[in-house]
Amino acid sequence: MIETLVGGITLSSILSLMAIGITLLYRTTKVPNFAHASFVTTGIFAAFTLHLFNQPIYLGLLLGFLLSGLEALLLFYLVLEPLRRRKSSIFILMMATLTYDIFLFGLINIYADYLQYTYKATARNIYLAGADFKVLGVQGITVVSVITLVACLFALHIFLNKTVFGTALRAVMENDSLALASGINVSAMLAISWFIAGGLAGVAGALLPLHIMCSPSTGMILIAAMFAASILGGLEQLYGAPVGGFILGLAETLLVTGLSSVLGPWVMTYSGMIPYIALILGLIFCPRGLISIRVRGA
Amino acid sequence: MALELITLFISDLLALLGVYTILTLSLNVQRGYAGIPNFGLLFSFAGGAYITGSLAARLGLLLAGVGTDIDPISNSVGAMAVLNPILRSSPLLTITLTVILLLIGAVTGALLGLIQLGPVIRLRIDYLAITLLALGEVLNYIATVYKPFINGALGVLVPDLFSWAGSEYRFMVATLEILLIAFLVFLYVEYLGRTPLGRVLKAIRENEVAATSLGKNLVTYRAIAMTIGSAFSGIAGALWTLYLGAITPSLQRFDWTFLPWLMIFLGGIGNNRGVFLGTFIFVLINRLLVYIKHYFTGLLPFDVVWFDYISLGIVMALILIYRPQGILPEKPRVPGEIKEIMGKQSLEER
Repeated sequence: MIETLVGGITLSSILSLMAIGITLLYRTTKVPNFAHASFVTTGIFAAFTLHLFNQPIYLGLLLGFLLSGLEALLLFYLVLEPLRRRKSSIFILMMATLTYDIFLFGLINIYADYLQYTYKATARNIYLAGADFKVLGVQGITVVSVITLVACLFALHIFLNKTVFGTALRAVMENDSLALASGINVSAMLAISWFIAGGLAGVAGALLPLHIMCSPSTGMILIAAMFAASILGGLEQLYGAPVGGFILGLAETLLVTGLSSVLGPWVMTYSGMIPYIALILGLIFCPRGLISIRVRGA
Repeated sequence: MALELITLFISDLLALLGVYTILTLSLNVQRGYAGIPNFGLLFSFAGGAYITGSLAARLGLLLAGVGTDIDPISNSVGAMAVLNPILRSSPLLTITLTVILLLIGAVTGALLGLIQLGPVIRLRIDYLAITLLALGEVLNYIATVYKPFINGALGVLVPDLFSWAGSEYRFMVATLEILLIAFLVFLYVEYLGRTPLGRVLKAIRENEVAATSLGKNLVTYRAIAMTIGSAFSGIAGALWTLYLGAITPSLQRFDWTFLPWLMIFLGGIGNNRGVFLGTFIFVLINRLLVYIKHYFTGLLPFDVVWFDYISLGIVMALILIYRPQGILPEKPRVPGEIKEIMGKQSLEER
């Protein structure tokens, strides 16, 4: 039971890191970013490449942050900014992020093929838990994932509230025309938000192969869970994302283990359905997030 | 030998073109006419494909009146050995089975389309896209986990319904049947666009408030568009399973949602000829890439198929930025009577 709980907390922390980026981008650019899938996968391959060349895996957090942040910047400047200048609809912007995701998916798969072909690496079954360190009999990833989440949230909070850039970014989130009128460079602020969100997805991706088996399709498989976490937390609430991440992560581990001990082991095989069910129910019954539900009379 | 290969290449190309044309036309009814951005096209397509996989052999055995204790799902090889010779010798039985399966595919697609209607009428476009994309994956999941449906990840064989004219003509017959159905769907969708119903759908797309003020119920008309569109996509799924002769729960979002969207964007949303042109261009490029693929094996340290993803991603981004209306944009159609009332002059002034 303790083991399940520990696994659940690790998964929840990683999911939260992904969901924060989605919520942040939704607040700044008003677009659900489907390219988050490939940003996460990029992080996975950052960690895997370092491991392949005998470097410390946890350097992957930094490499993943930079690479995915760069990918997000490229998406913003090459595709989204020209579309924004043409006053394209949200629908077109959304298609554009989906398109960029497909493009990156192709690149990542070529890279995976290349690693397999040239270095005989198992680039389609990436699991690095064996290379992890141990603290008091617990896998290092458990401690690191929680610390990373807390550190990232803290850094984001300081950035948004104590710096000039952060204040400007919050102004853009609230009302971009007004921000533009007060002389804030809206385009630059949006670019910063894309870099941060992409970077956080890269960090989450770099942590992932230490916890579960990964492949070039992992990001695509997880995208529903990322959106589910983000929506459960409330797409308008930046700090709601970790709440959604933990609800989903714990539901997928604790709830399923609990149910299967009552109803039988067949429940386990359907555990992958949880993000989809949570997403659909969440969107239909409380699209503004669980935080929006208030006790009547309170 | 070379000639045979070319015939096979062309018949494969045309079959794929037919299936994709039905699918893009179904998307055109939903997005092009009614303005519903169905990002979950895979849902009804996979529904049609999997239900056909699940029922084809069972129905075949039932119709042929064969009493056998072979389970057509877990032992589909055994069931095919019994069923295929019977079907080959009886064109009538084959065609009856084909028609029944296509009808079941259409009904399944339509029902799944109605399930999607819940989110469609409630949610804003961004939330809707997320929901429909996620819904699309659910069927793959269920079909993989629930073994009695289509035998889990291993998949099932389905009876060969195109060999009634002799097995050497199998692919030619299949291609012709698919093209015929695609042509009928094209005629119907083109007709639908000119009917009063089609005009109401387009009116809702252009301005919901104006359409409501004229007494048009948004929910009813969206339900109609979703049902018609999803039924066609269910038929496309059923045809795809029958054409392949087997199905596994691995239909991809890229192939069956993203590509159709790309095709209608390239050709021109709302214009059926444009949609067909876009479909043709993409299927041709895709098949040529597959065809030349083996020339590159061993030369490059990766699979050439991934170029498909990269190039399509770039093409799509360019279309979105520079020509979002497509090659053949939709032209407003003015019915004859209105033209007479308004006179040619006033129309040109518009």
